[in-house]
Amino acid sequence: MPPRLNLFTARKAVPIIRQPSIHNSVLNRPQIGLTCLNKRYNSSDPKSGNQNPKSSTPSGPTQDPLPHVSEEAAAMEKIMGEKKCDGTPASPELEQGTPVSEILQRDEEAKKHMPKVMQDQVRNSPPSGSRSFSTYTRFAQEMQKQNSAGASGSADPSVELVANMITDVSNQAAEKQGLKFPAPESLPASENFRERYDSVLKLFTNMIMKSGKLTRAQRNMDTILDHLRTAPAPQPNPRRRLISTPNYAALPLNPVQYLNVIVNSVAPLLKIKSYSGLAGGGRALAVPEPLRLPQRRRLAIKWIIDASQKRRDSKLANRVAQEIVAVAEGRSSVWDRREQLHKIAMGCRANIALVEIRSKTRR
Amino acid sequence: MVPSFCGTCLSRLRPTPRVLPSLTSAPRAAPFHTTAVLSSVLMKKKNRDAPAKKYRERTAFRMKKKRHVERPRPPPAGERQALRKRIVLSNPNALEVKDMKDLSADTMIEARLRGSVLGLPMPMLDQLRASGAFKPHQGWAIFRRPGTVMRSETLEMGKNFHEITSEGAGKGKVFKRIISGVRASGKTVHLLQAMTMAFAKKWVVFTVPEAQDLVIGHTTYTPISGTNPTLYAQADATAALLSRVINSNRDVLSGLTVSREHPSLRSTVKPGMKLTELATVGTTDRAIAWTVFQALWTELTATSPAPSLEKHFQPRPPILVTVDGLAHWMKNTEYRTPEFQPIHAHDLAFVNHFLSLLKPGFEKPSLPNGGALVYALSTSNKPSVYALDVALKQLEARQAGVDPKSPEFPQPDPYANADIRVIDALNVPKPKDAKEGALEVQTLGGLTREETRGYMEYFARSGIMREKVSEESVSEKWTLAAGGVIGELEKLGKRVRVAA
Repeated sequence: MPPRLNLFTARKAVPIIRQPSIHNSVLNRPQIGLTCLNKRYNSSDPKSGNQNPKSSTPSGPTQDPLPHVSEEAAAMEKIMGEKKCDGTPASPELEQGTPVSEILQRDEEAKKHMPKVMQDQVRNSPPSGSRSFSTYTRFAQEMQKQNSAGASGSADPSVELVANMITDVSNQAAEKQGLKFPAPESLPASENFRERYDSVLKLFTNMIMKSGKLTRAQRNMDTILDHLRTAPAPQPNPRRRLISTPNYAALPLNPVQYLNVIVNSVAPLLKIKSYSGLAGGGRALAVPEPLRLPQRRRLAIKWIIDASQKRRDSKLANRVAQEIVAVAEGRSSVWDRREQLHKIAMGCRANIALVEIRSKTRR
Repeated sequence: MVPSFCGTCLSRLRPTPRVLPSLTSAPRAAPFHTTAVLSSVLMKKKNRDAPAKKYRERTAFRMKKKRHVERPRPPPAGERQALRKRIVLSNPNALEVKDMKDLSADTMIEARLRGSVLGLPMPMLDQLRASGAFKPHQGWAIFRRPGTVMRSETLEMGKNFHEITSEGAGKGKVFKRIISGVRASGKTVHLLQAMTMAFAKKWVVFTVPEAQDLVIGHTTYTPISGTNPTLYAQADATAALLSRVINSNRDVLSGLTVSREHPSLRSTVKPGMKLTELATVGTTDRAIAWTVFQALWTELTATSPAPSLEKHFQPRPPILVTVDGLAHWMKNTEYRTPEFQPIHAHDLAFVNHFLSLLKPGFEKPSLPNGGALVYALSTSNKPSVYALDVALKQLEARQAGVDPKSPEFPQPDPYANADIRVIDALNVPKPKDAKEGALEVQTLGGLTREETRGYMEYFARSGIMREKVSEESVSEKWTLAAGGVIGELEKLGKRVRVAA
């Protein structure tokens, strides 16, 4: 039976034995700028450190060592598919035997009885993850080169010129710390013409709009805001407090915020969705589902507009504005609607589990 | 054709039952299939679109009757107009601006106050309302109390008013202005400031808040007999003017008495009567409103008592006349003569009277006791009158010192059919009396940056603008407002910025 080759481990183990002198020689070298060396030639990723030599980009004569003879033969055989009828391998390399290193690799028992020379080599081998070749030579060569250049002072003049230019430019940049004109502070979002209106204001305006007449809707919204600005400040209702509004008297001074507070206060947290056949027998069951913020706001605005339609004022803007003030004072039916919805959702919250069970069984 | 046996199991299917089963046939064993071959009756396809017609039902197209939708009833007549014309001067929600000064006789000449916003005196608001100084959509409703900016033009006017009233060389002077300027540049508010100053100085104020109302055929008109060319009196409009004068100048007029005989009003007006009473005669009996107005004007422009009636004479105060929307008085009206020819606005006695004041008076100034004529043009409601454009250019040229005979002097296009009457009305010769100023055109532009800053600070201190008022922000707003046009500045100040 041909030996099964583990290419990856073989590749790791074999060179250790083949190139015994490298690692030791590193230690014997003078320690010139070792940290610098690590910085320069090790992995570019500081987090991975020196752990993964494959991630670093080695360069040099030992960059891509050829595989071992037997590995090569095995690969060849795999590609060519050559095999004799009796199952023996086609190539003589494979037929004649397996290198000792490979046997040692797969046989733990054999390792114990290895010759002492080989055992010493394995013991002195670098930890896994270190490079199988030295990068020190090149660095040392460069250092030597630089040192000799610095000592003689006869370096390439163009290099010096470029270096001077770089220092000049960096000095100039350091001098010009301040800008000619002060940098603009962060502009308000409304300075962008696409975002010039508050998001709730925009949503509300679009929802008042009829037949695509945006300008008319905007004019109506202007009237609504003016009404909010000039109408007396709402009286707080202890049962129905507006969210995050400690001072009701300050609301009219910022009508856009007034509108925001109203819409966010009456926005429902969820909707009731009815699942048919959830309880068996085709019966529909109500299941509460959470809403996203825009959905919540949209529903609140829809309720406010619906409720305003029952008012007896001839102008739409006045109807809506009065309804908004009614919401602020807790008089509006929108509050009832919200409370009722939340009550139903509380009642049928147990059905959420059924939906989950069904979705699991469907899967 | 339906096969008579089953294709799968090859058993015979039951034949279609006959109408009369033969009695002779012996009962057979039940075959495997119990279903009759042709038992299924094809269902007739129902035509769902067209419902089945009943007998003798008509087939012609019928329109569905619209269901009556319950709608709120329209508001009572006049309510909508009242709502539209409602003037709100206060917003209790806005913050009160601390130590805001009032526009008074003292502050109107103070140059230090340039650029600051001065409040209109609260007791004067009723007078201003009565004289029609405020208009809807001027933005008074967002502040705690009405206030106006002291711009350079205002201060100059204040100085003129002060001169006319004070003892000195300028006493009893008359100055005449036509106010022009781009849209929303504050022409009407300039008139309002003039009225405020006049009330503060105890002048008599005559106002025409909307010149258009006189020429659109909404008020009664009658020819005045004995005039050539025929003039037309507008009884209702004159009565409205008289009531404005009474309500806004009650204090001043009640201190003055009738000092001469008025033969046309002999039965109702006696010397020694208060001028308010005289004016009330015109508002109660509208038929004589125009005559009463003429009598009142004679009384107010009198410089000395009639002989033997000295005891009834008090020195008359200066007069301020303001007209808003002057261009409407420069064209044919909607009124017609008995020959159904259009009546020119200058043939209306009311209009004619106030336009004739622009010309220098014969022998004595047109306002002998001094005063001011401030007539404003309008840009948002402006009929296009070519002759008026030319006349204004001529006025400006004359003001700049261009000789009317020189070729630089603007002339109307001979083919444009310019209205000669309009050009003549504004072609005012240089007054002989030193006290009478020449007619001038004053163009209101934008505020300066300093004035803009004061105005923006007023917004910020009222709690309406939630922004830091710095040099940059003021400059930005000034630029966005087309160089400080005050109406545009107001919009920018009101605009709510969304925080980033």
